[in-house]
Amino acid sequence: MKDLMLYFHIPFCVSKCAYCSFYSIPKAKEELKEEYANALIRQTKLFENSDKYTVRSVYFGGGTPTVLGVDRLEKVFNSVFETFNVINNAEVTIEVNPCTVDKQGLSLLKSIGVNRLSIGAQSFNDKTLKLLNRAHSADDFLRCYSQARKVGFSNISADLIFALPNETLADFTHSVNSLIELKPEHVSIYGLSVDEGTPLFKNKSSYAFPSEDEEEQQYEVLCELLKMAGYSHYEISNFSLPNYESKHNCGYWQRMPYFGFGAGAHSFFKCRRFEAARDVLAFIKNSHISFTAPTNYDNSVPLSEVEAEEERIMLGLRLKRGVEITKPVPKYLLDNGLVKKHGNTVSLTERGFRVSNSIIAMLI
Amino acid sequence: MTDISKIRNFSIIAHIDHGKSTLADRLLEYTEAVSKREAVDRMLDNMELERERGITIKARAVNFKYKADDGNIYDLNLIDTPGHVDFNYEVSRSLQSCEGALLVVDATQGIQAQTLANAYLAVDNDLEILPVINKTDLPSANIPGTKDEIEEIIGIPADEAPEISAKMGINIKDVLEQIVKSIPAPNGNPEAPLKALIFDSCYDSYKGVIVYIRVKDGVVKVGDKVRMMHTGAEFELVEVGTLSTFGFNPKGVLSAGEVGYLTASIKSIADTEVGDTVTLADAPAEEALPGFKKVLPMVYSGIYPADGAKYGDLKDALEKLRLNDSAFVFEPETSAALGFGFRCGFLGLLHMEIIQERLEREFNLDLITTAPSVIYKITDKKGEVRMIDNPTNYPTPDEIEEAAEPIVNATIITPTAYVGSIMELCQDRRGVFIDMKYVAGDRAELHYVLPLNEIIYDFFDALKSKTKGYASLDYEHAGYKPSKLIKLDFLLNGENVDALSFIVHADKSYARARRIVEKLKDNIPRQLFEIPVQAAVGGKIIARETVRALRKDVLAKCYGGDITRKKKLLEKQKEGKKKMRSLGSVELSKDAFMAVLKLDE
Repeated sequence: MKDLMLYFHIPFCVSKCAYCSFYSIPKAKEELKEEYANALIRQTKLFENSDKYTVRSVYFGGGTPTVLGVDRLEKVFNSVFETFNVINNAEVTIEVNPCTVDKQGLSLLKSIGVNRLSIGAQSFNDKTLKLLNRAHSADDFLRCYSQARKVGFSNISADLIFALPNETLADFTHSVNSLIELKPEHVSIYGLSVDEGTPLFKNKSSYAFPSEDEEEQQYEVLCELLKMAGYSHYEISNFSLPNYESKHNCGYWQRMPYFGFGAGAHSFFKCRRFEAARDVLAFIKNSHISFTAPTNYDNSVPLSEVEAEEERIMLGLRLKRGVEITKPVPKYLLDNGLVKKHGNTVSLTERGFRVSNSIIAMLI
Repeated sequence: MTDISKIRNFSIIAHIDHGKSTLADRLLEYTEAVSKREAVDRMLDNMELERERGITIKARAVNFKYKADDGNIYDLNLIDTPGHVDFNYEVSRSLQSCEGALLVVDATQGIQAQTLANAYLAVDNDLEILPVINKTDLPSANIPGTKDEIEEIIGIPADEAPEISAKMGINIKDVLEQIVKSIPAPNGNPEAPLKALIFDSCYDSYKGVIVYIRVKDGVVKVGDKVRMMHTGAEFELVEVGTLSTFGFNPKGVLSAGEVGYLTASIKSIADTEVGDTVTLADAPAEEALPGFKKVLPMVYSGIYPADGAKYGDLKDALEKLRLNDSAFVFEPETSAALGFGFRCGFLGLLHMEIIQERLEREFNLDLITTAPSVIYKITDKKGEVRMIDNPTNYPTPDEIEEAAEPIVNATIITPTAYVGSIMELCQDRRGVFIDMKYVAGDRAELHYVLPLNEIIYDFFDALKSKTKGYASLDYEHAGYKPSKLIKLDFLLNGENVDALSFIVHADKSYARARRIVEKLKDNIPRQLFEIPVQAAVGGKIIARETVRALRKDVLAKCYGGDITRKKKLLEKQKEGKKKMRSLGSVELSKDAFMAVLKLDE
């Protein structure tokens, strides 16, 4: 039995966030969602040799998965549990945005086997949320969070973004402290990237973005506050209370195979990385064909040994525990406290995390 | 044998863009009909040959026929001249091969520095100068003004000058008639021992070196054993002939007064130096033609492959270029910063740019070039004189008794409105004012002695920008002059980067040091730790900046296991790293390096 993680991509959302450069359809028609859910179920059932895998994690991401509707989610989940050998302590996560699911819905998700929620908070400042075109307020998040607790979710992750436009260090600190007060088991943090083609990019001249130094300061304060509150910086972008590291997230960096279902879903399967066609209609249309054999994907190329090794280092270094590297590490990385080395295990320090790209480029 | 009285040998001289090559094309076009009839048989052969070989040999001397109004058919030889100050000596040898020169002047611009320099060269070579007023069809053409200028500045009558438009093909026949009437036929004695002047040569992979000659005396033919009087090299001639627009015309013999080419399976262009005299080995002339000069490089620069693995390719390319360019020299050198490369010598800045461009374009090489340097003349404490073409080899101050730098006599022609800014510029570039003349209308001619070192730094660009491109510059080398010179070194993270060192006048060292240090700071990407950037003179730091440490990379979300963005980012970084030069612990991209060396203000 081989280990496998499953990812389900739901490319629907309530409204496009101003910074989002990913493929997702806002305000999709109910029929489309229905067809999409059915397509996911068909695909799940068509998965070849599904009984040969031990599924350690199931992750529903998006977009906003809850926009699909909890009833449809239930059907999809049921087909997953029927088709795959999902082990007992598997991590089953769904991404949730406030205002897209009510208490009843959360309760239903819980009952069908979801044991971890990832809620998009992004900021606790309403002005910022509005600017980002998020469909919720800070209060909406708090309500959603407390409802989740009430229905019994004991493993909740929240996302925060730093380097947000028009935010001062004080604004950002407010967000961090508000989140810490809630004691989520897990926190994901990202620096805002203003990608071409997004509304944010178009309007960027009308906003004040924090300077590089301010951005750096925000990140430092964030790390410091989370650490003081008992969180471990177990991966470049992720913090958790003890024993609440995300299995799914760690799996990505440890190169555990995963299969992505849905339009634009990414897979790492049989030593290949591939992405399904992004177009929802095309995905639905072709969903009667099994995509399990990666050769069905046009863009699937098996990784070469060199690529695999580079990936192993690049991904492994995202984790605090580090990765085994046999070739010598430049001395000045060690001398400047950017990298640590125990035996052959090389890991990035807190400072190293901040400049990980530059260091990784040096180590691969 | 061609009747010597019906031969006319001439060049076209002009300032850049005044229409030299357009006029040449028109002359050939106009006379093509006559030449064509003669050439038609050979043309087919030649074209086929050239097609087969995929090359067209650039004719540096074109032979064509013109049927003049007097009823005679004349044999005209148009000898091409390179149009830049760097190639002055080649120009003078080309002119030596002629009896006359067409001086083309753009009626909208009047006389420029190069027009003047070339005209003086023509006068020095006793040529009959025929002024030609070009671009007369343009609304801004000032024909009487241009003629006045020619008479006043150059001192030759311009009344009769053909008023043409080379572009529109107007009055081309006038030019041909004047060539026939006013340019004297060559005088040479076909019975005398052979004396032929080499005015150019180029390498052809099939024929070997093609030597362009003007026969002054005697006759040269296929099978003759010839000797180059200066190099002493001897060859048996394989081909002798003329070049027309249709290709080689291997007629087998050339006699006094004629212009053409010869080949003899010559392997090295170094054996056929421009200015040398070809004579017969068995019946040599008593003395060579006057004026031979060995051309020496004046400007040196290090050329390195951006990718160290391309060293061999660069070497091959340099060797190929050298086959065709005896003025270009190179030898291997090693830089601690840039690895293995070559120290290359050029006639001047333009020559350098041409070579660098050809290396990049024709040979597809990505290059790093160091700042150009002139040759300094150092007398050490023991009284020994050393010529230094590489700042790396510059002795320490305590070894130097006297340092001297090359100087030039510069002529600048400018609208009077810019005289003030030009004087300011020359003064700033350590120029010594000689004199100034107001010439026709509202223009002035200034003479300065300038250090060559300043000219190769950024003088051309500065002159251009200060005068909106209206001023023109020409110069000739004028020997050496003692000077307060020092070597500026640059240190990154405390380590000397040899490739950045250069020699500068002491008075300018501080300003120059500051500028380079700032440029380095702006162009070195932030790295994982702080990097001091310092300029030093003999171990003493005179300027310092700091490149702050990189503190943060992008921390973007990886959605649903999509690591493609991350991978792309790293691929980019890796790709960039390949182009990086590690200078000790500091990584510098080629672009950053070149930006530092870029000479603009």
